[in-house]
Amino acid sequence: MAIERKWGMAVDADKCTGCQACVVACQSENNIPINESDHFLQRRAIQWIRIERYWEGEFPDVKARFVPMLCQHCENAPCEPVCPVFATYHNNEGLNVQVYNRCIGTRFCANNDPWNVRFFNFWEPVWPETLRNQLNSDVTVRSRGIMEKCSFCVQRIRRTVREVTREGREVVDGDVVPACVQSCPTNALVFGDLNDDSSQVSGLSKSGRQYRILDQLGTEPAIYYLKKVDPNAITEEAHA
Amino acid sequence: MQQRPTLTEIDINRDLLRPTLATPMWFYGLMMFLFLIVAGALGAFAWAINHGTGVYGLNRPVMWGFLLVNFVFWVGISHAGVMLSAILRLANAEWRRPATRAAEVLTVFALGTAALHPLFHLGRPWRIYWSMPPGYDFGRGIWPDIRSPFVWDPTAISTYLTSTALFVGLLLIPDIAVLRDRSSGMMQRVYSMMSLGWRGNTRQWKLQIIAGFLLSALILPVFVSVHSIVSWDFAVQIAVEGWNATIFAPYFVIGAVHSGVAGVITVLALLRWLFKWENYIRDDHFDALARLLIVVAVGWFYFFVIEFMMGFYPNEEPELSLRNLQLTEWPFNAAFIVFALTAFFIPVPLWLFRKVRRNVALMFWTTVMVNIGMWLERFLIIVPSLMRKQVLTFNWGSYNPSPIELILVGGSFAMVFLGVLTFVKFFPIIPLADAKEGAIMATEIRVGKVMVPAAYREE
Amino acid sequence: MGVTRRQLLRFSGMGMLGAVIFAGCRIPDREFIAESPVLIPEDLVEGQDAYFATLARPSTGVESVLVRVMQGRAKKIEGNPDYPMSQGKHTAQAEASLQELYHPDRIATPLRRVGERGSGEFESISWEAAMGELQAKLSEFSGNPGSVAMITEPLRGALGTVASRFASNYGATQMAFEAVDQTVVRAALKNLFNQDRLPIADVKNAHYVLSFGSDFLSNWHAPLHYNWQYGEFRGTENGKRGTLVQIEPRFSMTAANADTWVHINPGTEGVLALAIADVILKEQTGNPAGMEALRDVIEANAQDLPTAEDVTGVSQAKIVKMARDFAEHQPGVAIGGGLAAAQTNGLFNMTAVYLLNALVDNIGKKGGLLFNPEAPLKDVESSAAASSLVDFQRLADRMRTSQVNVVLVHGADPVYGLPGALQFRRAMKDNVPFIASFSNFMDESTAMADLVLPDLVPMEGWGDDVSDPGPGYESIALQQPVVMPFVDVRSFGDVLLATAEGLGGDMTRGLPWNTMKDAIRSNAEELFKLNRGSIQQYPSFEEFWIGVLQRGGWWDTKATSKDSTKAKVDTIPGQATPTFSGAAAEYPFHLLPFMSHSMGDGREANLPWLQATPDPITTAVWSTWVELNPQSAKELDVREGDILEVTSPKGTIEAQVYVNPATPPNVVSIPMGQGHTFFGRYAEGIGSNVMSILDAVSDADTGALAWGATRVKLTLTGRRSRVPKFEGMVVPRQLHERPVYQISKGTDHA
Ligand SMILES: Nc1nc2c(c(=O)[nH]1)N[C@H]1C(S)=C(S)[C@@H](COP(=O)(O)OP(=O)(O)OC[C@H]3O[C@@H](n4cnc5c(=O)[nH]c(N)nc54)[C@H](O)[C@@H]3O)O[C@H]1N2
Ligand code: SF4
Ligand code: SF4
Ligand code: SF4
Ligand code: SF4
Repeated sequence: MAIERKWGMAVDADKCTGCQACVVACQSENNIPINESDHFLQRRAIQWIRIERYWEGEFPDVKARFVPMLCQHCENAPCEPVCPVFATYHNNEGLNVQVYNRCIGTRFCANNDPWNVRFFNFWEPVWPETLRNQLNSDVTVRSRGIMEKCSFCVQRIRRTVREVTREGREVVDGDVVPACVQSCPTNALVFGDLNDDSSQVSGLSKSGRQYRILDQLGTEPAIYYLKKVDPNAITEEAHA
Repeated sequence: MQQRPTLTEIDINRDLLRPTLATPMWFYGLMMFLFLIVAGALGAFAWAINHGTGVYGLNRPVMWGFLLVNFVFWVGISHAGVMLSAILRLANAEWRRPATRAAEVLTVFALGTAALHPLFHLGRPWRIYWSMPPGYDFGRGIWPDIRSPFVWDPTAISTYLTSTALFVGLLLIPDIAVLRDRSSGMMQRVYSMMSLGWRGNTRQWKLQIIAGFLLSALILPVFVSVHSIVSWDFAVQIAVEGWNATIFAPYFVIGAVHSGVAGVITVLALLRWLFKWENYIRDDHFDALARLLIVVAVGWFYFFVIEFMMGFYPNEEPELSLRNLQLTEWPFNAAFIVFALTAFFIPVPLWLFRKVRRNVALMFWTTVMVNIGMWLERFLIIVPSLMRKQVLTFNWGSYNPSPIELILVGGSFAMVFLGVLTFVKFFPIIPLADAKEGAIMATEIRVGKVMVPAAYREE
Repeated sequence: MGVTRRQLLRFSGMGMLGAVIFAGCRIPDREFIAESPVLIPEDLVEGQDAYFATLARPSTGVESVLVRVMQGRAKKIEGNPDYPMSQGKHTAQAEASLQELYHPDRIATPLRRVGERGSGEFESISWEAAMGELQAKLSEFSGNPGSVAMITEPLRGALGTVASRFASNYGATQMAFEAVDQTVVRAALKNLFNQDRLPIADVKNAHYVLSFGSDFLSNWHAPLHYNWQYGEFRGTENGKRGTLVQIEPRFSMTAANADTWVHINPGTEGVLALAIADVILKEQTGNPAGMEALRDVIEANAQDLPTAEDVTGVSQAKIVKMARDFAEHQPGVAIGGGLAAAQTNGLFNMTAVYLLNALVDNIGKKGGLLFNPEAPLKDVESSAAASSLVDFQRLADRMRTSQVNVVLVHGADPVYGLPGALQFRRAMKDNVPFIASFSNFMDESTAMADLVLPDLVPMEGWGDDVSDPGPGYESIALQQPVVMPFVDVRSFGDVLLATAEGLGGDMTRGLPWNTMKDAIRSNAEELFKLNRGSIQQYPSFEEFWIGVLQRGGWWDTKATSKDSTKAKVDTIPGQATPTFSGAAAEYPFHLLPFMSHSMGDGREANLPWLQATPDPITTAVWSTWVELNPQSAKELDVREGDILEVTSPKGTIEAQVYVNPATPPNVVSIPMGQGHTFFGRYAEGIGSNVMSILDAVSDADTGALAWGATRVKLTLTGRRSRVPKFEGMVVPRQLHERPVYQISKGTDHA
């Protein structure tokens, strides 16, 4: 392999409608436990990707801003060095990987994750017997007491790489499609190799609208957001 | 200075060994009571293991709560031991004598209790050994990540615990020998084993004193490191704006000394009241300790103000909203006021008065106050900062401790007191040898320009 | 050589340290990658997966999907990349149909009622017994066939044909129920353009979209397809970006995404549309032919600008700006529906809105309004209109006068979904001798049944669908079984066909098939004979059949509508101004219900994924909340979580307050979909059903339920409980420094 891959994503805030298709697609793909009402009341609901909604202005000049939020797969991930047991680490493809069976549940990493995208299994997840038929056999079901988060659908990356290799070719842009990206009806989410100059995501990462959330922390997120375009913006233009 | 009563060795032995050799009934009652609370706390922990970390009030983003607050608190209390024994021993401060062992014992039990908290707190407590020095599971490729303060915490705490326990044990040897000579049956056999053949000859005394000084000196860096490392649990976290401060290490250490010394005074006052040891723990001891506290408290308060003001200095919204939360929002505003009053503004001005410093009841209540305040201080640092972690206001949350957490916190106090009482039941909490040395030194003589302890002169 | 104890200790200590450091320097990479089955050797456990194309039928519209199947189990749903309405995308609702498939509360066998009617107590019976009972009942009443009512969801495709032929052969009254129907929009399009099928707005190519109440990004017509089109519409990277103006009295999801949200008084959308039309006429900026054709009707109905401002609450400047932008930024399209249609003057509003398209002559054009042709097959229904409120009112009256003997219900839950004012439940419970349900879940209507013959879920059976709206050309989507049912259920279509066969006589007229599979296959044969469209290259029918199943359907991009694009309209029916149930003095708030973004009208309230999907605007889940303006909340002295009684002239429900900065002060909004008394463990006992307090007011011309025309008052109960929601504990607003979301003003960044 000549150049190492670095997986990344572009999120076009101008396209996202807040439709939540990505959220449920991720739940389904990644065996995320059913978020019962109590889990929301306890603020322990798990959604590896979520749509954050921010208010701007007051009625009638009011705006709601949707920000899809998932693990940013930081190049300098602050969640990693605080883990005492290397349960979360950076792999050579730019993924911030969570190794469930190593995790002892200190929740240190979750505190040191500025985006709050790490989710702790406070309870043992339960599925009624019949619903377990749906569980994705490519993905571990996490037990209680451990941390979990968006994996960039690593199981899809692995599967695709294996299948493509079997076909005797190299992975090309568009081969790997995480569940959320696949579902997103507006194509607000784009996934690919940031090291591949010809990939769509690296093109978007150089867009004039490009920015990274909390970029100032220097964690080098692998997710590039594209600014919302608003011809009637209420506030003065925000600066990165 | 009040008139020092003349105490004979017989008086000393009788008075100081009373809890050990003639334990009163209420003492057993008290121990039973504390034991029940501890058992309740262990039951609560069993419940937590059985049901999962969900039984705590933690959530996203407040992933650490009362248990971590309490952990920091007890590690803080444990700083009393070294502060009083090692530093004062090295400084050869005469007034330290009755306080040293109480401080060390408090250290051992506070630290042991603190060390349990990570266990309570973990999602998978049965895997805690993966992050502890003897437990690293290299065979399975579970490597500790030495960048994580959670790898250094157990290292520092276990080092500190080991060295303090050694320290206590070493200095206890002569007193155990006394007990050996005054007990019978099974206890005598146990005491004679523990006294390691102490006969009180010159060489043994010499070795013991040298070893005590050496341990004191060696323990000092550990003392500084323990709470510094505990502070890094927080300070390394760039994500939590309220924690990401370089001042945390010294600030935590001096805060620990503040609460630790206050804790020792509380224990001494209690012991004096319970066992009527007015002749041993004298008013001038409280006076001296309180003067030390004034210095420590003012130092700590200076750090606190600096740290707190730093939040305002950059004039940035996340920090400001954290300060706003701490100062104006219920119940944090109440906690803040209670904290400021009890940790500093009530006790410290009071201690400026000699009358107060020499009033045991007042010293007891003011030092209890300090620790209420210092507990709240840790709470105010830890929990609100997590509630207002970053600029992503969508995730700003809150935290309510669960009954299980409250029981565990309550249990930790019972555990420490039970530990100290158990010690008191089996060993003299005021060092006999030191007390005797002190008594003899009352007749110390001047040799040239140097004061020579009478005990040495006899050699 | 003697080694002292001290030396030994020293050496061994050093040795250990060295070993640790040495080993630490080369931690094998693989030690970190202990990440679970994701990396198990490929010859070990990993199952073979296969993807099959089929249909998912959530309440938001039928979607062509691919189902990932492993070892006989459906694992994951993904959009069908080939099918034009799907574009490889799918909604949260489609994904959740996996949970419908494996739901723990699915009805697993036919059931016979044992308890009191409506108590939900049933016993299991065999299919033979169930079919026998059904047939016996139908024979019994064959002398009075009109007393048999068949209520289904609006059915299209082969099943639509089977059901309607079954009903008409028998002589039964056939009704289609949908809580939030498109009757008014359909009527307007029929009047204006003589269209039976819903058109599709070509949003992706439009430069300007004027949407009156149609929440097309959430729950209107074809939200999946419209979301995809919207993504293309926002194609800043392609160097163009359309403008979306949402005119709605409620801050819907579409309003949240619009460039401009124009807040309007409920029911006055028609006045606004005509005012816009009038400006275009006056300024002569429209299409000359279109303007000429519509001049008279617009001039006769449009009010002058100051009056329009008064009525609608939209400033004159805004009206003029919209008119100019709409005319200038062509291609553009005006669509309407939702709350704008759900008024007593719904038809007036819709006619006025859709007329704007004729004014700029965008029909059938890129970026305009595209008509959908009928499917090219005689045996599939192309559109499915729902019966109106008035139809159901009549049915309820007939029930009360004992003119209804049998009710057959499939895929619809009228007991839950009809306005409480209709007393439909009582009528059915007390007056109908026999009720059979074909539902696969114990919903409120099924709980009333005497006999339950559970249907398959779409992934288990055969079917098809003519997308309505379609993509602007002919398209048929196919549904095939991708997994075997784990339960003892049968397809509704098969049951109807077998019953027709059993009843004999005329019943099989036009129903030459034994099973739905036969019907689908014979339709496919017809398609094959057309020899055009997406699958032309197949030499034999068998290959075509496999191909069409693999691709999930058939479509012909060239087969667009040939209908006239000229609007023919002489008058605008109905009233310019709406009326409301409940006097403003006593009932100060407009109640504007809305379909839950995830659970629609409540048909999916039984699926935990959808219950747990945050509402896009409030992020609330698993509950019924009432959205209040902050000012109104202050005046009422309530805050989030306070439980309010919401009282209309027809009833009262309870809901938790959610203070929504975007709710207009004179409006409260409540999501539909909760308050089920039956419907399985995930739906029962959660929240309240807002439909139950709606008055039975309807659009004057079509008789469709005017679900936005009830007013309410609010009273405090003094109780409170936290609202389950995903957002945190403070109202999330951007901090001034270090912004989370960033805004770009221009569109020139590409
Ligand atoms: N990466 C990097 N780090 C560096 C350096 C470097 O070159 N590169 N340089 C180093 C050097 S030499 C220095 S001096 C330090 C400087 O380090 P800092 O002292 O941290 O410098 P600033 O970030 O410039 O300013 C601190 C804060 O003061 C606020 N401020 C500005 N004016 C006022 C005022 O009038 N009143 C108050 N209360 N606040 C104000 C600003 O908003 C800002 O948030 O950085 C050191 N660190
Ligand atoms: S976003 Fe959070 S969890 Fe993800 S890599 Fe960065 S710090 Fe870690
Ligand atoms: S919670 Fe798990 S992954 Fe996170 S720091 Fe602790 S052990 Fe590591
Ligand atoms: S990349 Fe995969 S794991 Fe991450 S949010 Fe999307 S679907 Fe979930
Ligand atoms: S699926 Fe796409 S449009 Fe929908 S919420 Fe997710 S990112 Fe936004």
